[in-house]
Amino acid sequence: MADDQHLIAALRQRDTDAFAALFNQYADKLYRVAFNILKNDADAECVVQDSFLKLIEKLDGFEERSSLGTWLYRVATNLSIDRIRKARPTASLADDFSDDAPIMPAVFIDWAHTPEQWLSEDEKHRVLSAAISQLPPKLHTTFILREIEGLSTAETASVLNASTGAVKVQLHRARLQLREYLSTYFSERVNH
Amino acid sequence: MQCADLITYLSDYIDNDLPVELTREAEEHLATCHNCKVVLDTTRHTVTLLKEHGQVAIKPVRRKAMFAQLETAFLKQPNQPG
Repeated sequence: MADDQHLIAALRQRDTDAFAALFNQYADKLYRVAFNILKNDADAECVVQDSFLKLIEKLDGFEERSSLGTWLYRVATNLSIDRIRKARPTASLADDFSDDAPIMPAVFIDWAHTPEQWLSEDEKHRVLSAAISQLPPKLHTTFILREIEGLSTAETASVLNASTGAVKVQLHRARLQLREYLSTYFSERVNH
Repeated sequence: MQCADLITYLSDYIDNDLPVELTREAEEHLATCHNCKVVLDTTRHTVTLLKEHGQVAIKPVRRKAMFAQLETAFLKQPNQPG
């Protein structure tokens, strides 16, 4: 936060080095979050651009209640979710509630040590994209922020305006749903 | 510890967030339960694969163009002190 205070002060002076430092620190991070939610290059780039534009607009009135990073992650996540909801207005409500289903593993094939040998790079990419895309939005964004982006539980909770308990539950469900999806896929491959 | 308990605590176990006593019980269960050991190993591997899969970056040409546009917007934004 001390670093943030210096950075914000420099940005308010329209210091271009400070803006370059901000962009270099966060552009790829925000892109990674947006791309993993949207799975579309152009849409993810728009989200990154719009996130920085929002910060530029609010710079002089920026209240340092959360870190710059948390604020930018929150904006990029919300803009990405808004784009999905606009694209699929009827699907979003059902998706938001479907993550309440209890999860108990049902497929016990041990594929942990061999999948790379079973899959071409193209197939691996397709299967992993499909696995993460089938998660309900809340689990999807929690998994991306915690596992792909490497944020802590507390940071993820702050980005999502959720409790740390809720983040832990959502991450647990996401991991188990993803495991089940991939286990089912590998199980079907073994049986064919 | 039963299988259902192990699954309930699985993420906390993976994240080393489980109290010492429950960690010991989980490890005792995992030593004798093949299915739960498979669930643990495949869950860990699922996370590893998806972490690798998710590592993407903006294409350099697009990154440069985006920075130029944003820098222009940044410099044009009027100062509104206070």
